[in-house]
Amino acid sequence: MRISVRQICFIMVAYTAATKLLIYPTMLSWFCDGAIIFPALINFIVCGAVIWALSFLCSKTDKTFFGLLQNTFGEIGARIVYGFFAVFFLFAALLPIFEQKQYVHNIFYDTVPPLGVFMPFFIFAAYAASRKFGNIGRCADICLPIFAGTMFLLFIMAFSDVKADDFLPMFSVPATTIFSTAARTAFNFVEPCWLLMFMGHFKYKKGDAAKITLSYAAGAAIVILFLALFHGIYGPIAPSRTFAVARISLFFPAIETMGRIDLILLYVLEVVMLFAVVINLQLAVHAIAKCSGFENYVIISLATNAVFAIILFIFDSRYNAIVTLYSQWLWIAFIVFTVLVPALAWTLRRRTR
Amino acid sequence: MITLEKQIDAVKSVLKSEDILVFEFASDEGKKFAAVYADGLIDKNQLGELVIKPLGAVKKNAKFKDIKLFLASPELKEGKKVADAIKEISAGNAVVLVDGESDFFIVGVKMPPMRAVAEPPTQVAVHGPREGFIEDIKINLGLIRKRIKTDKLQVKTFTVGEKSQTAISIVYIEGLCPKGLPERVQNEIAENKIDIIPDSSYVAQFMTKRPRSLFKRCGTAEKPDIFCAKVCEGRVGVVVDGSPICLTVPYMLVEDFQSVEDYYITSYRATTLRVLRIISLLIGIFLPALYITAQLFKIQIIPFQLLLKISSSVAGLALSPSVEMFLTLFVLEVLNEASIRMPKYVGLAMSVVGALVLGDTAVKAGIISTPAIIIIAFSAIGLYTVPNVVETTTTLRWMALIIAGSVGPLGLVLFVAYLICYIVSEQSYGAPLAAPFAPLIKSDLYDSLIKANMYSLKKRPKTLRVREKVRLKNDANKR
Repeated sequence: MRISVRQICFIMVAYTAATKLLIYPTMLSWFCDGAIIFPALINFIVCGAVIWALSFLCSKTDKTFFGLLQNTFGEIGARIVYGFFAVFFLFAALLPIFEQKQYVHNIFYDTVPPLGVFMPFFIFAAYAASRKFGNIGRCADICLPIFAGTMFLLFIMAFSDVKADDFLPMFSVPATTIFSTAARTAFNFVEPCWLLMFMGHFKYKKGDAAKITLSYAAGAAIVILFLALFHGIYGPIAPSRTFAVARISLFFPAIETMGRIDLILLYVLEVVMLFAVVINLQLAVHAIAKCSGFENYVIISLATNAVFAIILFIFDSRYNAIVTLYSQWLWIAFIVFTVLVPALAWTLRRRTR
Repeated sequence: MITLEKQIDAVKSVLKSEDILVFEFASDEGKKFAAVYADGLIDKNQLGELVIKPLGAVKKNAKFKDIKLFLASPELKEGKKVADAIKEISAGNAVVLVDGESDFFIVGVKMPPMRAVAEPPTQVAVHGPREGFIEDIKINLGLIRKRIKTDKLQVKTFTVGEKSQTAISIVYIEGLCPKGLPERVQNEIAENKIDIIPDSSYVAQFMTKRPRSLFKRCGTAEKPDIFCAKVCEGRVGVVVDGSPICLTVPYMLVEDFQSVEDYYITSYRATTLRVLRIISLLIGIFLPALYITAQLFKIQIIPFQLLLKISSSVAGLALSPSVEMFLTLFVLEVLNEASIRMPKYVGLAMSVVGALVLGDTAVKAGIISTPAIIIIAFSAIGLYTVPNVVETTTTLRWMALIIAGSVGPLGLVLFVAYLICYIVSEQSYGAPLAAPFAPLIKSDLYDSLIKANMYSLKKRPKTLRVREKVRLKNDANKR
């Protein structure tokens, strides 16, 4: 069961957007005031270019990234690089899991439940992460229509309360602030690495590079529109509004009389968000398997998720410290792995020695 | 030269049962014969008319080959071994032994007790054919052959069940269904050495690689029109003797949302009904769980006016919302089970007990609230809009309820995500269970939740990987 180009496109649309609807908008507002769209645009343009370069590389070779590394650095070298990627994906998965935990506890429950309520997530994650690429693709087939439907409804509910004048200060933010915000929030962008891992696992046809890049652009457009709506609704108080996706439809007129029906949409959207969070774990398991040569995905997945559950248990109340770690230090590593390494993949030897 | 008595003794030494009858008779010139058969399984009139009467004219010194010419039965075979004779008698055929001959005749005068061809109760159609399969394999194969008259229709019959020797037929259209699939189906069924096959559901369990799965791997058809349509789409059918339910593979989940009538009514109405079915099914599975979730963990979901009504209903209730819902669902399951099994004449009393005592009185006594009863009732009705998967959906409803009561909304969401992840990896003979949604197959979507008109369904489902892709040939410019 291989992944198809269509499924990769769906992943690029749905999962790209689904991972940026919780803390990311708030973080942008915090760092960049009114100009929240520009840092996001910079990141999307850079990642979009890398994705185009990578998908174009797929047209030149049918080898996997591991295969290319093997050709260039030999088996040991390839394993070492995959080891680094395994660590990278684990870090890429860690913060979204913490975010999900915060989001679920604050939005899905009237009173904040104990940590144990979130632990079943790791059962699902262990199961999902033990599946291979074909399964990831098929889940994306189901997730895209769900995502499109719920986002469409949420957008409709949000439009009624957008105040356009809140966008006006956006041009007063200095360029340095915009670029530093783009850099400090770069840890939210791992999509080029997804494509790097999928390389060689799908059959490339002419025009697929454009399809994948345009899909990513579609995902980016959804996020940009979402950011605009979020800022248009909350304006100056946006930095204090966490879990943006749960806030944008709050002022829809029907909600007052009908209960928070948007919560049903959020529950449905959460299904997609879970898959979007888990994809990093799935790729981490794949990278660990390749690096170690131990191909039992079930055991690797169980072990990884057990470790994550312990980390969550220990650092549960240190969410802010973790965000600070990512936004002050780890963003450099994210730029290296999501921009530099995929771009350097072009330099790898494509023909077998 | 073997005497007739010795032959009869050889058969009766094995078939000692009293219902194995031996009818000895002789021709006008004195040639002796014996017909051995199982009482109740053959048509005695036919035996008299086609075998006994004609044999009356046989000459005393007639040879075995000459005697054969007297027999007027269209189903006639010769046998040599006693073991074969025993097998045929057990299968419901008559064996005619001839004095002085070691060989014998096997005459097909089978007429086991059976009911008439009638409309099956679970696949009732307002429009369309009303014939349904019955328990006799020959009649069922006849009903199939009546509808598919092509010479490409192939039927391979074999027996399974060491004691029951149940006949199973694999039905397919040669050159249409995927290569090797009929043989694969046959091998997977035949490799199981079981004592008895009472129904096709046994066979269905042999046709899955994951027997513990919650989801079935075979489609079912109780009507020949549905069965034939599926076979003509490129599937392989399995007809089991003694069962009115025939199986088809490969199977996709979406098949169960397609009703018999969808193909006989307008595509607009059919599409509406299919959407209605999927919504009802989702409501049936998740509504009780969502209600619990809302009451226990996130009361904001419920509209204010409705919340007031609910709070007035649940005020003073002795049980917690989850226990209340659990109890109500339990009562529903008990009533459901009892109403299927109880004698009809007790039905009225049972309805009174169910509706009045358990429903009205329990509400008045403050044990169960009215919303809980409404939700469970609606859930029960919702699930039966897709009756073929009701075994699975009721189990899922229980699971959702337990998870919602213990973990809340996150549990419910994780449950759905797990289900998606599980279903998309399931396969039935090479066809993904979740097709045409995952993997997404655009052309097959026209007969999934949407039912497009016949001109949009020119090709057979891509998922089935059939060898002959086009099923409707017409002038494309006209339509």
